[in-house]
Amino acid sequence: MTAISDHPTSSDASPGGISRRSFLKWSAVAGGGVALVSGTRQLGLLPGAGLSASAQEEASGVETIWSSCNVNCGSRCPLRMQVADGRVVRVLPDNTGDDALGSQQVRACVRGLSYRQRLYSPDRIKTPMRRVGERGSGDWEEISWEEAYDEIADSMKRIIEEYGNEALYLNYGTGTLGGTITSSWPPISTPFSRLFSLAGGYLNHYADYSTAQIQGAVQYHYGGWIGSNSLDDAKNANLVVMFGNNPFETRMSGGGEIYVSQQTREQAKVKTIIIDPRYSDTAMGLGDEWVALRPGTDSALVAGMAHVMITEDLVDQEFLDRCCQGYDDEHLPDGVPAGSSYKAYILGDGPDGEAKTPEWAAPITGVPAGTITRLAREIATTKPVLINQGWGPQRHVNGENQARAIFTLCALTGNVGIPGGGTGEREGSYGLPLANPFVIDNPVEASIPVFAWTDAVEKGPEMTATNAGVRGVDRLEVPIKFILNYASNALVNQHGDINRTIELLKDDSKCEMIVNVENRMTVSARYADIVLPDTTNAEQMDLASQGSAGNMGYAILASQVIEPLYDCRTVYEMCTELAKRLDIEEEFTEGRTQEEWIRHILDASREDIPDLPSFEDFKEMGIWREPNPPEVGYVPLQDFREDPEEHPLPTPSGRIEIFSSELWEMAETWELPEGQRITALPEHLSMQESAEVARSDDTYPLQCIAHHVKQRTHSTYGHIPWLEEAHPHVAWIHPWDAEERGIANDEKMYVFNDRGRIRVSARVTNRIAPGTVSVPHGAWYEPDEQGVDVGGSPNTLTSWLQSPIHKGNAQHTMLVQVERA
Amino acid sequence: MFTDLSMVVFTVFAQMSVGAFIVLGAVQVYARVQGGRSAEDVDRVTDPALYAVGVTLALGLIASIFHLGTPMNAINVLRHVDSSWLSREIAFGLAFAGLGFVFAATQYFKWGSAALRQALAALTALVGVGLVVSMSMIYASLDAVPAWSTWVTPAQFAITTLLLGSLAVGAAFMGTVMWRRRQAADEEAEEPTTDAGDLETISTSLKGIAVASIVLLGAAFVVIPLHLNELSQGGAAAVASAEVFSGAMFALRLALVFLGAGLLGFFVYRFAARMESNPQPLAVVATVAFGLVFVGEFIGRSLFYESMTRIGM
Amino acid sequence: MATQLGFYFDQTRCNGCKACQVACKDKHDLPVGVTWRRVAEHGGGSWQSDGDTFSPSVFATYMSTACNHCERPVCAEVCPTTAMHQRDDGVVAVDDDLCVGCRYCEWACPYSAPQYNAELGSMTKCDLCTDYREEGLEPACVAGCPSRALDWGPIDELRERYGDVDAIEPLPDPAITEPRLVITPHRDAQMTGSGTGTIKNPLEV
Repeated sequence: MTAISDHPTSSDASPGGISRRSFLKWSAVAGGGVALVSGTRQLGLLPGAGLSASAQEEASGVETIWSSCNVNCGSRCPLRMQVADGRVVRVLPDNTGDDALGSQQVRACVRGLSYRQRLYSPDRIKTPMRRVGERGSGDWEEISWEEAYDEIADSMKRIIEEYGNEALYLNYGTGTLGGTITSSWPPISTPFSRLFSLAGGYLNHYADYSTAQIQGAVQYHYGGWIGSNSLDDAKNANLVVMFGNNPFETRMSGGGEIYVSQQTREQAKVKTIIIDPRYSDTAMGLGDEWVALRPGTDSALVAGMAHVMITEDLVDQEFLDRCCQGYDDEHLPDGVPAGSSYKAYILGDGPDGEAKTPEWAAPITGVPAGTITRLAREIATTKPVLINQGWGPQRHVNGENQARAIFTLCALTGNVGIPGGGTGEREGSYGLPLANPFVIDNPVEASIPVFAWTDAVEKGPEMTATNAGVRGVDRLEVPIKFILNYASNALVNQHGDINRTIELLKDDSKCEMIVNVENRMTVSARYADIVLPDTTNAEQMDLASQGSAGNMGYAILASQVIEPLYDCRTVYEMCTELAKRLDIEEEFTEGRTQEEWIRHILDASREDIPDLPSFEDFKEMGIWREPNPPEVGYVPLQDFREDPEEHPLPTPSGRIEIFSSELWEMAETWELPEGQRITALPEHLSMQESAEVARSDDTYPLQCIAHHVKQRTHSTYGHIPWLEEAHPHVAWIHPWDAEERGIANDEKMYVFNDRGRIRVSARVTNRIAPGTVSVPHGAWYEPDEQGVDVGGSPNTLTSWLQSPIHKGNAQHTMLVQVERA
Repeated sequence: MFTDLSMVVFTVFAQMSVGAFIVLGAVQVYARVQGGRSAEDVDRVTDPALYAVGVTLALGLIASIFHLGTPMNAINVLRHVDSSWLSREIAFGLAFAGLGFVFAATQYFKWGSAALRQALAALTALVGVGLVVSMSMIYASLDAVPAWSTWVTPAQFAITTLLLGSLAVGAAFMGTVMWRRRQAADEEAEEPTTDAGDLETISTSLKGIAVASIVLLGAAFVVIPLHLNELSQGGAAAVASAEVFSGAMFALRLALVFLGAGLLGFFVYRFAARMESNPQPLAVVATVAFGLVFVGEFIGRSLFYESMTRIGM
Repeated sequence: MATQLGFYFDQTRCNGCKACQVACKDKHDLPVGVTWRRVAEHGGGSWQSDGDTFSPSVFATYMSTACNHCERPVCAEVCPTTAMHQRDDGVVAVDDDLCVGCRYCEWACPYSAPQYNAELGSMTKCDLCTDYREEGLEPACVAGCPSRALDWGPIDELRERYGDVDAIEPLPDPAITEPRLVITPHRDAQMTGSGTGTIKNPLEV
C-alpha cells in the first residue's frame, strides 16, 4: 500500500494511508488560540487550593474524572481531574499503560499539568459581549445569548444575501484541537463548518500555519503527504539525521515523540546528528553532534553535501535512475533543456553556472566546508540513514525548496522506502482511524492559502489562481466580509505583522463582522465585534483523537468534569442555536445531543476499529490503546521503491520529482512578487530577508526565528502563572551578538525592525548560532503607550510575506536589530 | 538593598549594645584604676549611657520579631540550643538583656555592693560577648554561603561591636554633657554643670575612644580586602557574592566609616584635649563621627545580607 | 535504622520541561515563588569563527532537584525550633506548629529545599508526598515526569540499581549534607567544582 494522501490539508502529520479517515491531525505551529488580557494576572491564587492534602483525602466528595488536553502540540494527553464541590482541585497525569513503546503511559507535559490555572484563569470570558468602541478598543457591553445569536444570524444572512457565501470565512485556529465535536481545526471538521456548510458554505483555506511550505513541497515532490519513517524505526538505522526537528521541545507528551525517540535511542544507541540554528533540547538529549547553521540555509547545506556525494561518486545512482525524475539530465521530462537537472545545478552545469561546492555553501550556511564534506561522506556511506525534518526549515520564504532539498538528500543516498531510512519529511506515526460522521462537505469550492486571508479581506477579488494561489475558482468573487474565529489567535497574534493586521481589522468597512468564540480574552478576541464565551473541554464531554505517539494508537473519552463556569456555553449549543435561526437546526443536530453524537461517532468508528470499547466502558477507562507490536514501525514508500511502475506516486511522472514538471510550468505562468522565484529543482534560494541579505544589511543585520517553547502551545496556555514562572519568556541571543550590544543574560532588550518593536528578556546563550536571535513563538502581543510590544510577540516583527509556491507563512524569515533596553 | 531590614536593625543594634556595654565597663575600670575615681563618680558619667544601651537593645530585639513569619511561635526558637546557633543567639540575647536590665536596676537603685554590681556587669559583658559570638556563628557556620562561612564574619561582627559601641558611648557622653549644660542654662545655675573630675574622665574616655576607633578602622580596612580576595578565589557563588562589594553603596559605606572613624576620630582626639573650655566642638564631632559610622555600618550590614549567595541550586 | 528514602534522577532523559515542578505545585497547591522541585540549566563551552563560518563546541544539561532528604540535614541542624526534623524514614519535613518562619534553614540548604511561604508565614518543603506514598502512589514529580527521569525509594536500593553519582554541577559538594540522591549523568555532565559552566536560568531556580 502506498500511503499517500490526496488532500495535504487534511493529513498533515499522519501517515496518510493509515489514518485517512481520521480528521485527527496535529499541525504544530502557529495557530493556537488562547487567552489574555485584562491586567489582572493570577498570582499564586489557586482556585481549588482550599483543600489541604489530608483534608482532601477526608473529603467524601473527591472524584477523579478523565479529561484531556486538546491543544495543537502534536501530542494529546489524557488528564485525570480530581473534583471536589464542583471544582477541579488536582490535575493528574495518565496512570494506565506502561513504559514499553506501543503501550506507553501518556503522561501529560508541564502544560497539561497546569490545566487548573487555565481553567480558572481570571482571563476567562464570562458572558457574551459586543464591542462598543472601535475594534480593539477594549470597550465591551455584556449582551444576552439571545441577542448574540440573533445578531450573528442576522449578520450571516445579510452578508450571504449581499455578497454570497464566499464572503464567509472560518479563520484558521488550533486552540481546541483533537476533539471531534469541539475541534477548531481542521476547518472542515469544526462544528461551525457544519453549520456554515448547511447554510450554503464558506470560503475554504488550504494548508496550515504549521506546515504550509512543506505541504506545497510534498505535493510536487512526492505527490502528497507521506511522512518519514517513524521515530521508533530509528532502531533500524545506522545514523539519524534530523533537520530542524525538535521532538524534545515540540512533542513533549510522555506518550509522544520525545518518549518514542528517547526510548528508541536508549535501546538502539544509533548516532544522531541534529542540524539546527539552535542547540535544541533534542540536540542535547538525542543528538551526538550538532551542526549549527543559519536559518533558511538547509537547502544550501544539502547542495554542498550533494556536490561531495556526486563528485566522489557516493550517490545511489540505481535508486535515482529507477525512482526519481530529474536527478541527472538523462532523467528529465521531454522538452526540458539539458542542464536543468539537479546534478547539473550542483556541478555548475546549469543556467547559473555555479558549482555548489562545500566552499560555496560554507559562507551561506555558516558551516565550515570541512564539516560539510565530512557530513556528506558520513551520510552517503552509512546505510541506512534515517533522515527527517521538523517544520522550522520550511517556515521560510524559501521553505518549499528547503523542504524539497532535504527530501532530495534522501533520494541521493537511496534511503527512501527502507526500514531505518526516511523520506526527509517529518516522522510519521500510527493513527487510529476514527470515523467522524459529524463532518460534512462545504459546497463552496473556492479556497485560499491559509496565510492569505488578510489579502482576501483587503483585496479579495484581485486574488487569482496564478497570483495568489487561489484554488477551486480562477478568481475570488468577493472579499472576506464575515470571519468566524473559533479558538483561534491567528486573527492577530499568530498572524504575521501584528501592527499591520490590526490596522486592517480596525477598518470595519472591510471585514464587516468578526465573531470570536473563545474561553479566554486572547489578543485576537480583543478585535472581535462579538465575543462568545466557550466552555473548556473540562466543562463538556468529547472524544479526543490521539497525538503523534510513534507506533501506538489510542483515543481518549474525555468526560465532562465540571459544570460550565460563568455563562459559558458549548460550541455545539452555540451552533444549534444559530442553526435554529438559520432554519437548519434539524439538519445540524440530526436530532442528537453532543453526547449522542459522541456515541454515534464511536459506533461508526467501530467499523474500522472493532475492538473499540463501549461508550460506558470507555468513559470508565478514559484512554484506550490499540495494542501494536513494537517491531512494526512506519516505513513509507516501501512498495513504491520495490516497484515504482506498479506503485507509482501521484506525481505527473509517477516518480519522486527532484525535477518537478508542475513547478517548471508554474515558474513560467505564475505571477510572483518582486524578488521571488519558483524553481523546478530544490535550489537554494536567497529571497527577501534571507541569511545572505542579513550579512549585507547594516540596519537589520540579525536573522530572527521563533522557536516553539515549553511555556505555551503556540499561544495557548499563555499567561498561566505556573508556566510563566517555570518557563519565562526569554529571547535567545548569541554571546557575541549580546556582547557587541552590551546585553547581559536576563537583561531586557529591544528586538525591532520597520514593522515593530518588542521588549523582551535576553537569554544570552551559546546554544544559538551567531547572527541569529530567536524570540519564542506564541507570546501575547501587548503594546505599551509607545507601541512597543512588551508582551514580546515575534509576530510584531514578522511580515505578511508568503512563499512563492504554496503561499505559506514565512514566519521564520525576518531581519531585525537588537539593542539594550 | 535593605531587604533584610529587620535583621540589619537587630544585629547592628544588638552588637552596638554589647560594644557599648563593654566600653562602659572599660571606662569604669580605667577611670577607677588609673583615674582613682570612686564608683559613684564614674557611675554619674556612665549611667545615662547605660540606660541608652538598654533602650537600644530593646529596639533591636523588637526588630528581630519582624523577621519572623510566625511571631506567635517565637518562643519555640529556644528549643534547639544544643544544635542551632540561632537558638543560642536568642538565648544569649535574652540573657544579656535580662542581666543588663538587672544590672541597670541595681545601678539605678544602688542595690547591693559596688563589687557585686561589678561582678554582675562583668557577667553581663561576658554574656554579651557570647551573644556576638553566637550571632556571628549563625552565619559563619553556613557551608552553603561562601560570603559568610569565613573567619571574616566574626571578625567583622567584633569590629562593628567595638567600633559602634565606642563611638556610641562617646556620643552619649558628650550628649549628656551638652544636655546638662543646656538644662543648667535653662535653670540659670551658677555651678558648673559637670564637675571637673567628670569632664576629665570624659575627656580621657573620648581620647581612648578616638584611638580605639582609628585602630578598629585599620582592622576593618585589613579585613575587607582579605575577604574580597578570599571570595575571588572561591567558586561561582563566592564570586557572585563579591559583586555586592563593588558598587556605589559599598563605596559609600567605606567612605562613611573612614570619615567617621578615621578623620573625625582624629578630631575627637584633638578636641578632647580642649573640651573643658568648650565642649561643643567635641560634642559635634563625636556625634557626627558616631552618626557616619552608624550609617556606614548599617549599609555594610545590609550588603552583608545581600551577599547571601548560596552554592548549589 | 529504618529504611532511608531518597530520589533518583536520570539526567540523560531530562529535557528541562519542568513537568515535575508543576506536578509538585499542583499536588501541594504551591503559589508562584514557592517551588519545591526546580530545574536548572547548566552549560558552557565556546565557539570558533573562521571567516563567514562558525563552529560550536558547547554543552548544556538540565538538573532537576527537590529535597534530597540528606543524611546530614543541615536545615534541621540549624533550625532553632526543631520544626525542621528528619523522620525515621529519612524524610525531612516541617512541623507547622513549631515553625517560626525565621528562614534560617533556607540559608543553610545548598539545594534550596526549604522554601518560605509568605502566605503561611512558615517554611515548606518536599516531604516526598507522604500522603501519596501512604496510599501506595508515587510522589507527584515521579509520576508526572513524561520522560520517566525520576524515581524514588530506599536509597540503598537506588544506589544498588543506579550507582552513587551525586556530585554533578550545579549541585554542591555532597560532603556538606550527604544527600540521598543518585544521578545517572548526562554525557556532558560536569563534576561539582569543575567550574566549567554556569547556571543559565538563574532566575528560574
